[in-house]
Amino acid sequence: MVSKLLLRKLHQNTSSLRRLSTATAAAALPTYGSGEEISMKGVKISGRPLYLDMQATCPVDPRVLDAMLPYYLSRFGNPHSRTHLYGWESDLAVEKAREQVASLINASPKEIIFTSGATESNNISIKGLMHFYRDKKKHVITTQTEHKCVLDSSRHLQQEAFDVTYLPVESDGLVNLDKLRDAIRADTGLVSVMAVNNEIGVVQPVEEIGRICKEKGVFFHTDAAQALGKVPIDVEKMNISLMSLSGHKVYGPKGVGALYMRRRPRVRVEPQMNGGGQERGIRSGTVPTPLVVGFGAACELAAKEMEYDEKRIKGLQERLLNGIRAKLDGVVVNGSVEKRYPGNLNLSFAYVEGESLLMGLKEVAVSSGSACTSASLEPSYVLRALGVEEDMAHTSIRFGIGRFTTEEEIDRAVELTVHQVEKLREMSPLYEMVKEGIDLKSIQWAQH
Amino acid sequence: MAAAGAGAPTKAEVLSLFRSLLRTAREFADYNIREYAKRRTKDGFRHNKNLSDPSAISSVFSDAKSQLEIAKRQVVVYSLHAPKVKSVMEIKQA
Repeated sequence: MVSKLLLRKLHQNTSSLRRLSTATAAAALPTYGSGEEISMKGVKISGRPLYLDMQATCPVDPRVLDAMLPYYLSRFGNPHSRTHLYGWESDLAVEKAREQVASLINASPKEIIFTSGATESNNISIKGLMHFYRDKKKHVITTQTEHKCVLDSSRHLQQEAFDVTYLPVESDGLVNLDKLRDAIRADTGLVSVMAVNNEIGVVQPVEEIGRICKEKGVFFHTDAAQALGKVPIDVEKMNISLMSLSGHKVYGPKGVGALYMRRRPRVRVEPQMNGGGQERGIRSGTVPTPLVVGFGAACELAAKEMEYDEKRIKGLQERLLNGIRAKLDGVVVNGSVEKRYPGNLNLSFAYVEGESLLMGLKEVAVSSGSACTSASLEPSYVLRALGVEEDMAHTSIRFGIGRFTTEEEIDRAVELTVHQVEKLREMSPLYEMVKEGIDLKSIQWAQH
Repeated sequence: MAAAGAGAPTKAEVLSLFRSLLRTAREFADYNIREYAKRRTKDGFRHNKNLSDPSAISSVFSDAKSQLEIAKRQVVVYSLHAPKVKSVMEIKQA
């Protein structure tokens, strides 16, 4: 009797609590009006923004989705099940995908290990390799503009008494090859330089770096997450020992990536994921068949479409840059203009504040700084490494153009950006002073 | 794909395939995919219009036919999950 009362009381309390919690949850979720508008984080927009953030992630190509769906529906087997059809067909699909990935980079399928993404591949390459060779090799060389996971893995190695050299970059974002050559020591185990930078889009001279590493007998790792399927990669020509690949940057699914590990001369790493010995013992764990199939299909598509996409994206990039430059002055392109992947355009607008520019550009999905560091208020470390001044670094916007971007979207983005920048500059007292001819650097700001 | 052994497709077949692809492309619920499918079809057919070797023509024709099958399936999938609010590009500006 008493327990029934207690139960009813408990139920009442929890249900009112539940009501409260759903109320707060509803406030945080976006509300989709009756087909009219979206309201989120205090901003109302009339439709889904046009997507210009391809470096953060790409939409899944419908042809890739079509390849993946059967493996979520009827062919759901575990590829490591050896005893029945479900396992066999799943394994066949994984091996086919492996071949598709390998042929895009001119590697052998035996050299491809599927992982959960480029971050995991970077971790295996840097920590795994150095741990394996820790008796003889104590030194790692990388650059200051690498992806956060590479820098963080290197920092982790430093805590384990390895030496790490963070090479500076020139003001156009490229690595200085002489500085790299001088930095290599007798006990250098690994040089890690990313092929295409995710923030500024510069393409590093991977072939030359590979040549230097080969003559000095050092392993060369490159993070090719942004480069795969966009610039031609040949592991033989570029003498790459290890390469990290990511699925969702080539119009594939999120949650999958690969690691290329050279077999001749053999590169060995200590595995970061221990378990049943899948993927040649390098990465244990069930290989996610649908994701891997999607990744393979995306790679095959990228090989077919690379030329067509590149020509088109180059044209769109010129349209975007010329459109903005025609109406605005004080626009600076961050990073080398020649050695650049056309789908990545990082612009700084002088005399404008970056966050307010982004707030006004709600109908365009762009980013400032990379997605990994956008939570902090610090200006991007990549731009700082380029020597960009703080005020310009704060105002940088990264436009990412991709396979599905249309000319109309570019034109609308130009229109919105120009409008927003002009509006902000009109309000800016600094801009007024510049128009009157005052040199901002010569001003003595008085203390109050 | 046993039909490929029958020789190169006729002009009528090619035109019919082209029109089917465009018609299917127009039905995509997603703005970006729709525009891409239309554009890629036109550019693809235009790029291959001067092919003379019959086996090359047959192979690109059968490739396009399989792309049509994929497109038909994906139009259904995309419409099942179409977002209620459309892209800003599709909303008429006042």
